[in-house]
Amino acid sequence: MNDDDITALKAHFEAARSHAARPSEALLARVLADAMQIQEEQAETPAPQGRAPAHEAGFWRQVFQGLGGWPALTGLATATVVGIWIGASPPSGLEGYLAEGEAAFVVDLDPWDAFDLASVIEGAM
Amino acid sequence: MPLDAMKDISDDALLVLFANGDRAAARALTLRLTPRVLAHAQRLLGNAAEAEDVAQEAMLRLWKVAPDWRQGDAKVTTWLYRVVANLCTDRLRKARPLPLDAAPEPLDTAQGADAALQGAARVDALQKALVRLPRRQRQAVVLRHLEDLGNPEIAGIMEISVEAVESLLTRGRRALAAELAGRRAELGFADEHE
Repeated sequence: MNDDDITALKAHFEAARSHAARPSEALLARVLADAMQIQEEQAETPAPQGRAPAHEAGFWRQVFQGLGGWPALTGLATATVVGIWIGASPPSGLEGYLAEGEAAFVVDLDPWDAFDLASVIEGAM
Repeated sequence: MPLDAMKDISDDALLVLFANGDRAAARALTLRLTPRVLAHAQRLLGNAAEAEDVAQEAMLRLWKVAPDWRQGDAKVTTWLYRVVANLCTDRLRKARPLPLDAAPEPLDTAQGADAALQGAARVDALQKALVRLPRRQRQAVVLRHLEDLGNPEIAGIMEISVEAVESLLTRGRRALAAELAGRRAELGFADEHE
């Protein structure tokens, strides 16, 4: 763009800024009427409440929330299934820990850590 | 509360008052924001009747969002410029392009036109050139040169980088200059150099 282009554009922009459309009385009245109507509707509608406090929730919901919700429950379920599987069909590496005729089960104390093995001699329970 | 007492209250504080049922806040916001919203819509659309509809719809959306408005999150005007642009885009997508002979005739300023008439003719010529620009270039040019906003605010409204805004502005200005170059004598620019 040359200087003439820039000068002309500036003049156009200046003219447009000083000739901005002005709202008619009718438009302002319509906008204000909308505002009043929305205000009335919002006054009639009670403000949305936040999440229900824990004491109002049901017992199982409290247990669920206490455990940490779905993410925690998913980890817990996975660890339980793995524990049952290892108990039912122990890997060969575990056989040395178990004497013949002993019942064995795995206690999963922390799903993010290694499994702790408990060996209970039958009859000691 | 009288309107005069509200002139120093920010837009978002007025919106909170509106949400609390303050009717004076509704009037103050209507008078303060409707002119800006209407002018912006008309510049993007080039059509007065459609611009009025867009302005009313944008303000209606503002009233509805008021109870959820969080002070300090965004400027009310930034939010409104974005809503107006979206509403205009929807209308422009649905609209059939006007045949050239349906566009208003340019004002005749060739013989003895006074300054006011010449100004109106320049506005008319600019508006016609603006509606020929690609939508994003038009929006950037209007926000920068007609709404007088800074590039960072424009970037926020258009949800693009400041560099992208600068690129749109450069291309938009170049296209406008090319579009208007042929009408300089008709619009009185030849006289200004003499």
